[in-house]
Amino acid sequence: MNLTFFDQFSSPQLLGIPLILISMLFPTLLLPSPNNRWITNRLSTLQLWLMQLLTKQLMTPMNKTGHKWALILSSLMTFLLLINLLGLLPYTFTPTTQLSMNMSLAFPLWLATILIGLRNQPSISLGHILPEGTPTPLIPALIMIETISLLIRPLALGVRLTANLTAGHLLIQLISTATMALLSILPAVSILTTSILILLTILEFAVAMIQAYVFVLLISLYLQENI
Amino acid sequence: VFCSILHAKRSLHASQQCSAPLPPLPEKPGQVRYGLIPEEFFQFLYPKTGVTGPYMLGTGLLLYLLSKEIYVINHETVAGACILTILIYGVKKYGSAVAAFADKLNEEKVASALAVKNDAIKSLETAIEEEKKEQWRVEGRSYLFDAKRNNIAMLLEANYRERLLTVYNEVKKRLDYQVAVQHLKRQKEQDHMIQWVEKNVVQSITPQQQKESIAKCILDLKALSKSAHVTA
Repeated sequence: MNLTFFDQFSSPQLLGIPLILISMLFPTLLLPSPNNRWITNRLSTLQLWLMQLLTKQLMTPMNKTGHKWALILSSLMTFLLLINLLGLLPYTFTPTTQLSMNMSLAFPLWLATILIGLRNQPSISLGHILPEGTPTPLIPALIMIETISLLIRPLALGVRLTANLTAGHLLIQLISTATMALLSILPAVSILTTSILILLTILEFAVAMIQAYVFVLLISLYLQENI
Repeated sequence: VFCSILHAKRSLHASQQCSAPLPPLPEKPGQVRYGLIPEEFFQFLYPKTGVTGPYMLGTGLLLYLLSKEIYVINHETVAGACILTILIYGVKKYGSAVAAFADKLNEEKVASALAVKNDAIKSLETAIEEEKKEQWRVEGRSYLFDAKRNNIAMLLEANYRERLLTVYNEVKKRLDYQVAVQHLKRQKEQDHMIQWVEKNVVQSITPQQQKESIAKCILDLKALSKSAHVTA
């Protein structure tokens, strides 16, 4: 069918039934569940190794109380990673291109870190607003700037993920449309745009993985400040 | 606050509910052609359509979809083709490396367990060797005791002889002392006797005798001097 550039960002529906829930839960079907063998097949071994690597990377700088967040952070990382990577296939819908989903992930997690910090160690978490060693005349301006920076964090988290993925997908669509349009007119330029497209796709693979990692890493950093 | 993490502590369906032994994993995965279509499909169509059957089916299906515009070529096709290229390139280049890495992880797991077993066996074997050596040493104990006994006997003998020598030397010293005392006494007696004899002789020399002996001496001297002059 003829697709407009909006169609890959519209929430999927089948005969009026929203499929958004299935599209968010589908990536979990791709992960083999751990079975009670000691030596598993290659996929399970690799998945286990990857999860251990990610969790260790996230949780090493954190103190003991932060390790309660290990499950939610590593599962969030896997969720975002798989959704982003699956979105690169043609005719797929990427839930993380929707601002609503990313904000609903970022805002509660950020708010949780803030509330934990303010409840358990209010002076320390408020003290992060003023960096050490600032000259005294700068303090009022710096406090205002740091407070705004603190309050804008959930917005930044959500919008960063949304913008990166949406921009990437849109670029892929545009350049492939250009390739197709040029194919009948100037095939040589079409080959050039194809090579650009291949490079862009490699970049999108990288961006998909990096954005997932950055999202979770930033939340873990906010947690480290406040826990 | 605390009940929110309680449900995460219990993992759902982490293991099968029965404890029967598991069947071993197959050696090789299911055979696929072109990474997508299992071999069983080709085998299924082989009796009716031969080797080229599935390929004809695939080509016909693709051309049908394209010509009837059931599948429309649009920009997603191009994007999909690029992604497919990258995926196939990645799998072909790094597939075996990733598989070898996964195998290495499993191998290391098994190897560490085997290493524990082998270390235990080795330490037990070393213990057996040590024990055998100790038993052999026990057999040689009698030689050891004999040697020690001989050693002690020699020490005692040497000590005895030393003491014997000491006794001999002491006794000799005392006897020498006695001998020396006797000699001294004899010497003293002789000296005393000589002195007494000399004293008496000197006392008994009368002046007449003295003069006679002096004159005789002078005559003798003259005679001698004459004979000395003659010979010179």
